[in-house]
Amino acid sequence: MGDEPRGGLRSDQFSGLMLLALALYVGWANREYPIGTLQEPGPGYVPLLLAIFLGATGLLIALWGIKSRPLSGIQWPEATRAIAILIACSVATLALERIGYRLTVIVLLVFFLGVLERKRPLPVALVSLGFGFASFYVVGDLLHVPLPRSPWGF
Amino acid sequence: MEETFQNLLLGFSVALQPSILVYAFVGCLIGTLVGMMPGLGPLAGISLLLPATFGLNPIIAIVLLAGVYYGAMYGGSTTSILLSIPGEAASVMTCVDGYAMTRNGRAGPALAIAAIGSFIAGTLGVIGLMLLAPTLAEFALRFGPPEYTALLLMGLFILAYMSGGSMLKTLAMAAFGLMLGMIGIDVMSGYTRFSFGVVELGDGVGIVPVAVGLFGVSEILLAAGGTVAPKVQQPKLRDLVPSREEFRLSVGPIARGSLLGFLIGIIPGSAHIISSFVSYGIERRLSRHPERFGQGAIEGVAGPESANNAAASGAFVPMLALGIPTSPVTAVMIAAIMVHGVLPGPMLIQQQPELFWGFVASMYVGNVVLLILNLPMVGLFVNLLRIPYGYLYPCILCFCILGTYAVSNSVIDVWILLAMGGVGYLLRKFRYDLAPVALGLVLAPMIELSLRQSLAMSAGDYGIFLQRPIATTMLGLGGVLILLALKPLVFKGKDWRETVGLEKQG
Repeated sequence: MGDEPRGGLRSDQFSGLMLLALALYVGWANREYPIGTLQEPGPGYVPLLLAIFLGATGLLIALWGIKSRPLSGIQWPEATRAIAILIACSVATLALERIGYRLTVIVLLVFFLGVLERKRPLPVALVSLGFGFASFYVVGDLLHVPLPRSPWGF
Repeated sequence: MEETFQNLLLGFSVALQPSILVYAFVGCLIGTLVGMMPGLGPLAGISLLLPATFGLNPIIAIVLLAGVYYGAMYGGSTTSILLSIPGEAASVMTCVDGYAMTRNGRAGPALAIAAIGSFIAGTLGVIGLMLLAPTLAEFALRFGPPEYTALLLMGLFILAYMSGGSMLKTLAMAAFGLMLGMIGIDVMSGYTRFSFGVVELGDGVGIVPVAVGLFGVSEILLAAGGTVAPKVQQPKLRDLVPSREEFRLSVGPIARGSLLGFLIGIIPGSAHIISSFVSYGIERRLSRHPERFGQGAIEGVAGPESANNAAASGAFVPMLALGIPTSPVTAVMIAAIMVHGVLPGPMLIQQQPELFWGFVASMYVGNVVLLILNLPMVGLFVNLLRIPYGYLYPCILCFCILGTYAVSNSVIDVWILLAMGGVGYLLRKFRYDLAPVALGLVLAPMIELSLRQSLAMSAGDYGIFLQRPIATTMLGLGGVLILLALKPLVFKGKDWRETVGLEKQG
């Protein structure tokens, strides 16, 4: 603790400023909607109030954030894998209604288990195929929730 | 009282028939499985089964659907506790301390207390329904937009007690959640707000993708990406049973949660969702060691789960006593009754006593079935944690995507899930609480609508909130809660800045 750098942005100062920026953006985007009056609030009234409130709290967090830990002190050891997981899920989301649920889930699980976790091929195949088919059967066939199928009907 | 007792005996004579028991069991089982799936909450389960009930007699139909409803309430808590994935909005608060208990190796006691609390709360709720249905239904009818606004504002004030960290950060997250709730079509004016040209956002942002993303996906991003994989748990039999201390600590929260949940549940609308949030806030406020909340406090599971299940019973009060659907679930159940030529309403008790009392008795039977079904399964569920995390988290992620997609068959919901997963990851890195975001999202549309309806009723006069006794009482109570929460700021002297701002972080 005693070795913390004195200068530099603090974590709460940064997060508070981000919240303030979000509030300003919402306030700006809200300009399209009629505000109305205190007695007859329009569709833009409550969002504007919330934007002001969020901005105020964000500003206070930033102002009093001087006692928080340095921004550079936040550790991000899991960030790379977290980003990889999110990207993989995003690709799967794009593929979901194009190649169908089962294929998407199988490919996604093969990526996670085989590439990211580096498990052996047999367990990867068993888990991917098992989960893909079993989940489709339970949710799609038994519970009759419509799940996307591939162009080949699979 | 004697007549009520005799009617209840009539009800049990109906509900304990073998065919009814089988359907109660099936309904509870399906409901539990459905409830575990994020996105497939009780409404989805009941709606999916509704066509299957057309060929059944009305008592069996309603027993089956009620079983699904209760089962889904319990099923949602299982995934909340084990995996930090809330099955539905009412299970969000269980995620906080329930999952913390799991990380501390106390998943079994958490599941057991959730089951026991749900049983007790459900049973007390049935008793309340049976004895007080007509009286409470009249009370529920007195709830108009001003009362609703006051109740929801009181729910927001409870936020002050939900977090053990910085109150400013809690308020900021609540504002963020409220702002998310502003997305979509404004019911009063027809404007589509903040949809950015995405048609699906006209319906607003659903609680399921947000809650599952914030809690479930962010947890995976933090844990799966870590340099050291989460330790595989190997619970022993004695670890599955709550300790004497845990039982003792759970008694008060279960009792309070049952009463609170039942009273909130009878209020028309989706107010029952806030019962678990309010219960958590109250338990934290009453606890002698509030710092334990968020770290695996059993009270943080017992209270919200009991409130949740009691609210489910309370929601049937207006439905049965007055024939008024007060939520989508009760609307579908009324439809199920009407399909069989039975007209729900105040005369139902006189005209079809075996249906009414059979249903009441089957609710009690359903609670027993759920306890018998789920307590032995605690060991089975906890053994899921033996699966190495490298195999577990990919399946959980696919499970989250599946459940979220199943809500509305919309890919947009999945995108929201992933976005909120990333947001939740960042918020947790910067030490912000996530529960206020979920509460804000749930409350926002309801508060705004009821506020504007109230002002429309009073031609813009805010005095309407003071002219209605119920609304005034609740606003007064909320004001007291806020003052109590702010008391440390006023009386702590030099510490006020540290308390209202940020605790020194190392």
